[in-house]
Amino acid sequence: MSKIDENEILRRLEQLSQIQPSFEATERAINRARLGFKWGTATASYKSNSPSPIFRFAAAAVLLICAGFLAGRLFAPKPINVEQLRAEIETSLKSSLSASCEQIKDELHQQVRRDLAEFATQTVAASTTVTDQRLAELIQLIEDARMRDRFRVAAALEQIELNRLQDKTQLGNGLQGLVAQTSELLRTERN
Amino acid sequence: MRDRQKEILELLEKSGASLYALLTRLTLRQDVAEELMQELFIKLTNTKGLYKIQNWSAYAHRAAINLAFDWRRKQNRTCLSLDNVHEAASNDCSPLSKLIHAEELQEILEAIGQLNRKSRQALIMRYIQQQPYDDIAEQMGKTAHQVRALCYKAINRLRDTLGSDRKEACDVQNR
Repeated sequence: MSKIDENEILRRLEQLSQIQPSFEATERAINRARLGFKWGTATASYKSNSPSPIFRFAAAAVLLICAGFLAGRLFAPKPINVEQLRAEIETSLKSSLSASCEQIKDELHQQVRRDLAEFATQTVAASTTVTDQRLAELIQLIEDARMRDRFRVAAALEQIELNRLQDKTQLGNGLQGLVAQTSELLRTERN
Repeated sequence: MRDRQKEILELLEKSGASLYALLTRLTLRQDVAEELMQELFIKLTNTKGLYKIQNWSAYAHRAAINLAFDWRRKQNRTCLSLDNVHEAASNDCSPLSKLIHAEELQEILEAIGQLNRKSRQALIMRYIQQQPYDDIAEQMGKTAHQVRALCYKAINRLRDTLGSDRKEACDVQNR
């Protein structure tokens, strides 16, 4: 890195040190600084004398609340005469209700009638369904009973048939025995 | 509090001229120095912990140096129109030499602005304010030997900074 001559730097610093402001400028600057100092002092004393921000905030809040309270008191509605108000409301309600009372009654009747009709329809429909179901169940039961009877009759007939066949076989065998014995007896007699 | 205000007023009477001269040397503009001087005293008045300050003069000079270099830094950030460029404080008469001279002074002040606070303070007090090492040491709370070392380092740093700037300028010219 190339370096500048030290003497050169010292020469420049020397030149800087030789710069002297004019006497008038110096006076002006000092006066202005004095003014600035006074202003700064005034500001500082104001800052030191003025209450702390928390206190100022609290005072402002108190003032605000007081103002709100006063405004509320000022603009609050006057106390109401309850009896008069009640009478007025009664009259007004009566006049408005009497007109609409008949209409409301009619509407209520119609509504009740509609509801009843609907309920009857629903009940009939429901009972029909239940009746059908019960009848179907009864028919099924009867059918089952009949089927059971038929099976029993068939079994009895089969048993009778078996007994008949057995009797027939025994009778045949008995007759054959009788014939044989009779023939034997006849031969014995001839001899 | 009152005593402190009195001390500040005394400081203004006693060191006002010296502070204004310092500000003029560091800003190279009398109008700006005047404004910074006012700002400095407002700041001194509003400084919290006034009771901690032992040497008012040293404190004020340090604050003035910081104010001046803060102003220089702000100037570097804002672009000035030609109408706003003021004539630099100088005793030379020829326009060309005046221009070169002003340019040189601006350059060295820029380089001083790049130093750290302690080195800058020591350098300014020694070479611009022409104060003896012992006084500077007392004001800075250091020994004279330490102040001498700070000044030596600061000069070396300035040599580097200005040398590299010059080299860059030469390179641009050669191209």
